[in-house]
Amino acid sequence: MEEEAEKEKMVKVYIMGREFEVPATLNIVKAFEYAGYRFVRGIGCRGGYCGACATVYRFKDDYRLNFALACQKAVENNMYLTILPFMPAEKAIYDLNNLKPRGSVLLELYPEIARCVACNTCTKACPQELEVMDYVQAAIRGDIEEVSNLSFDCIQCGLCAMRCPAEIVPYNVGQLARRLYGKYIAPQAMHTHKRVEEIHACVFDEELDNYSLLAKEDVEKLKKIYVEREIKVG
Amino acid sequence: MERGYPEYMLESIEFVKKTRERRLKEIPELMTLEEREEILRQYHPDYKEDGKRIVKVGANAGEFMPHEVADLIEAYPLIEPEQIDLSTIDYDSDILIIGAGGAGLTAALWAVSSGADINRILMVTKLRMGDSNSKMSQGGIQAADCEDDNPTLHYLDVLGGGHFTNDPDLVKWLVREAPMIIKWHEELGIMYDKDEEGCMFVAPGGGTCRKRMHSCKDYTGMEIVRVLMDEALNLDIPTLEFTSAVELLMDDAGKVAGAVLWDMEKEDYFIVRAKATLMATGGFGRLHVQEFATTNHYGATADGLVMANRVGARIIDMDSVQYHPTGSSYPEQIVGLLCTEKLRGRGAQPVNKYGEEFVYPLEPRDVESAAFIRECAKGNGLVTPTGMPGVWLDTPLIDILHGEGTIEKEFSAMFLKYARFDIDMTKDPIFVYPTLHFQNGGIVINKRTGVVGVEGLFASGETTGGVHGKNRLMGNSILDYCVYGRRMGIYATEYVKNATVGKLSLDHVTKYVDLLEEAGIPKERKAPILLPEYRGERTISHALPLLG
Amino acid sequence: MKIPYFPGCSLKTIGEGFEKSAIASAAVLDIELNELPRWVCCGTVSSLTTDDLMHHLAPVRNLIRVQDLEETQLVTLCSVCYSTLKRSNTLVKNDPEKLKTMNQFMYRESDYQCNVKVLHFLELLREIGFDKIKEKIKKPLRGLTLSPYYGCLLVRPKEFGIDDPETPTILQALTKALGADVIDNPYQLKCCGSYHTVDKPNLVADLGYKILTYARNSGADALVLSCPLCAFNLDNRQREIKRQYPDFVEIPILYFTQLMALAFDLDEERLGFDIHYVDPVPLLKEKQLLIDSLPLIKEK
Ligand SMILES: Cc1cc2nc3c(=O)[nH]c(=O)nc-3n(C[C@H](O)[C@H](O)[C@H](O)COP(=O)(O)OP(=O)(O)OC[C@H]3O[C@@H](n4cnc5c(N)ncnc54)[C@H](O)[C@@H]3O)c2cc1C
Ligand code: SF4
Ligand code: SF4
Repeated sequence: MEEEAEKEKMVKVYIMGREFEVPATLNIVKAFEYAGYRFVRGIGCRGGYCGACATVYRFKDDYRLNFALACQKAVENNMYLTILPFMPAEKAIYDLNNLKPRGSVLLELYPEIARCVACNTCTKACPQELEVMDYVQAAIRGDIEEVSNLSFDCIQCGLCAMRCPAEIVPYNVGQLARRLYGKYIAPQAMHTHKRVEEIHACVFDEELDNYSLLAKEDVEKLKKIYVEREIKVG
Repeated sequence: MERGYPEYMLESIEFVKKTRERRLKEIPELMTLEEREEILRQYHPDYKEDGKRIVKVGANAGEFMPHEVADLIEAYPLIEPEQIDLSTIDYDSDILIIGAGGAGLTAALWAVSSGADINRILMVTKLRMGDSNSKMSQGGIQAADCEDDNPTLHYLDVLGGGHFTNDPDLVKWLVREAPMIIKWHEELGIMYDKDEEGCMFVAPGGGTCRKRMHSCKDYTGMEIVRVLMDEALNLDIPTLEFTSAVELLMDDAGKVAGAVLWDMEKEDYFIVRAKATLMATGGFGRLHVQEFATTNHYGATADGLVMANRVGARIIDMDSVQYHPTGSSYPEQIVGLLCTEKLRGRGAQPVNKYGEEFVYPLEPRDVESAAFIRECAKGNGLVTPTGMPGVWLDTPLIDILHGEGTIEKEFSAMFLKYARFDIDMTKDPIFVYPTLHFQNGGIVINKRTGVVGVEGLFASGETTGGVHGKNRLMGNSILDYCVYGRRMGIYATEYVKNATVGKLSLDHVTKYVDLLEEAGIPKERKAPILLPEYRGERTISHALPLLG
Repeated sequence: MKIPYFPGCSLKTIGEGFEKSAIASAAVLDIELNELPRWVCCGTVSSLTTDDLMHHLAPVRNLIRVQDLEETQLVTLCSVCYSTLKRSNTLVKNDPEKLKTMNQFMYRESDYQCNVKVLHFLELLREIGFDKIKEKIKKPLRGLTLSPYYGCLLVRPKEFGIDDPETPTILQALTKALGADVIDNPYQLKCCGSYHTVDKPNLVADLGYKILTYARNSGADALVLSCPLCAFNLDNRQREIKRQYPDFVEIPILYFTQLMALAFDLDEERLGFDIHYVDPVPLLKEKQLLIDSLPLIKEK
């Protein structure tokens, strides 16, 4: 009975100004759909990974602006909702192979980061709860590793860029820093390089071909090899 | 933090807590091959007789498929061939790539580095570039690049996981090229988890005999795809977003020769003529087979299967569907979303409402899912306030085993996902149930990604079949789109050097319609469906196209 | 003595030698310069809005972080950072209304109570006393003739300067205490061109030519200063100066902290000479201040 009651619970929301009643168990995306909207834009993975549904909302009688991924935010009573389908942004064009992992690269390709006034508005907007201002600041001082770590969870939703009074696009700066870090600063996986060499030298081909043949002609034998293979995952 | 569970679920959590200590030592045994077969037969949704039917038309006529897929194969085209003006070519290209997820982007990059003319490539995609299943993958990518591992062991695991139904040759190239992919990714600047010496952090996965899963925290797919996108943007590869392919074009010689595209926003069509057409449209989670919730992105509607089937491509293994054992089942707002297998790889255990373990945590996915379904059928699961069944996944074990902070560091995406709903997965277990995850089967291709029996058409990624057989192991499908996406880029570039295109035609569609009519298929059924329909019933039943 | 220290962006990029030598020489004087665990740019950016409070957010945010550490002092090395932080600090101290607005804007941070004092490292040294510094000297800088250079922000505007705005003496006093000779340079207060280095390198070269040529002609071996931006303009821009004035002769630029480190005989790697444009090493070897110098990697 209690479960029944929970199921019925409805909340009042305002979708682009129009009032709707929707079940309290929905997220913002599903609330739009329940109300009869069909998305083409402003939606992507529906799982919190692509940033396409990043949105803003307010509560009735509250001056504060809130930020969320529409697919990850439960509807609440008296929410003012909208869709933000697109945010224009400049991205620097570069060939990573021709860049040096020097701190100054970030400022050279994105000189506008020097305009950051440290107002922290970007951080307040981030639905991933990242310290956006801190990574922009780290970018100004050329600390590529710090930018990479602080920005790693960025889903490039664009909310920070939309709010920045200095017109900075933090997520593009983070992207560049992470690629520089991954390519030039992080230690290389030498065991991978070694394995690639072995593969080029055809070290495993005979056995692989043998298995392929068994798979086609004597599956039972291959099954036996499979079952008897040593399992070392501890 | 508040505890975001209702009272009766919190009571069950108390049982889970009580048994935790004991379960640290006692882990259930792996099933034998026979036991696996038995549980699959009894509980796996694939084995449900009334879940599928024999399709009547197309290259796969006479074969079993889930109703949801059969409904797409036995469906009329969205466009009527006579409406379409083929005399004006809007885009004349060498290579048309349909879909900008992992497979599409990888193919585009490798086409460019293999010498394709960038300006004669066209990539089209339904949503934005990169919005795809590929962006969502969490756990990782398999590659046998560690000392105690090698590609032959990887080979055995892939085949064993697929119950020996895979295409043995496709698997060979998959495992053989895996380490090269990791190396390529490193060169692109992808930040894999490594130690100070550069040694990759590897985790085990269901059905693997070695730790082989490479990850980028639990944002593996996002990290890979955003780098591929950045590279595609740097190279300025011509791309059309919010544009769906709705039908393939053929020429008078019977080769695939481009596609009819539909602008999702302006709602008009255009014609692309292409020497090679590359299908990278991904999977079918949004078909909600047997009404399961899904982990997949909004555009995962099997369009590629439909279009390819109409030009005569065969599809295989569609009778097997991958349900991921651990989809979120509570709270309602995130039902169906994935809880990565790596959680179990790092020690989280499935337990029932009494806090009892009931299955080895890392069986192959189909077996693990069947065990969850069995447990709930036995009445040992719980039901959420919105009616979703499920069992517990005891995540706090991870921090107990590997130290406090491990979850927040390695699973920051997952942690945030639950924290948004006041659930602290480092303290309380999470509530899970199998969710529709992956399209095991698909279009039949050869090792050069050519679609078998159809000239001018290539395919790779989740839309294809054979690589994984009837069951895919975790981490092998990122690998799949990398290895075969790359091959697709390379071999399509090679192909277009000497390829020509004749007069464009949609006759194959007309013929297909004739077959449908003969088979008595109801006219309202149309495909591809492009986007799932989630609007309220009232809106759907009262919708009128008054503006035309 | 432990004291919170604010490096600023330039020190992390173009002023590496300044920071390293400062930390090392401070240690000799029993001062531990503790870099703030989290800090943002001091705030020296062009105005973005007509609301000039926006301008002061960054410096005040840094001061709040000092306050959150339960500290009451903040030391800087860079003259620009010093001036910016100090100016904002004074502004909010004198204008409670503005302070209130800013505190409200930063609603996630704790309110700023105005009890942090901003210091330049030179001020700290003066407090300790140059005699005390003398005691620690192992290798007096004998035979080295220097031209002190203040630029603008260290001493102006008057309310925020660390010394007399017309005739400052602090650098002279320190340099002499370290055993070097000084010359008078009438251009010691002339602007280095500051951020015009980005858009008007020619203008910066003109200014640099005057300052440096005077020093050279008066017999100075090098210029000593306290600001990474001045250093960049007067050192790196010598390339442009040479292009514009063929008669120009290069002259090394040194931070006062590098001189301290030399006099205290600290490791060469604390000096950071490898990123200087005009290499000071030959000069210092000639004066026998650097003896068994390691091979230095030069990157121009
Ligand atoms: C939540 C989740 C987690 C996963 N985790 C893992 C993991 O840890 N390891 C692993 O190996 N695999 C994982 N997978 C599986 C793996 O991510 C996918 O199988 C793989 O990314 C598929 O790549 P793809 O390029 O073939 O398809 P997608 O990445 O889905 O790309 C298909 C693209 O085609 C577009 N498209 C579709 N139809 C059309 C049309 N008609 N016209 C134009 N464009 C169209 C789509 O919009 C999309 O952009 C996961 C999947 C999901 C959903
Ligand atoms: S950093 Fe910016 S783009 Fe990235 S997730 Fe946060 S708000 Fe979105
Ligand atoms: S919003 Fe812009 S100016 Fe403000 S802190 Fe963030 S990046 Fe800096």
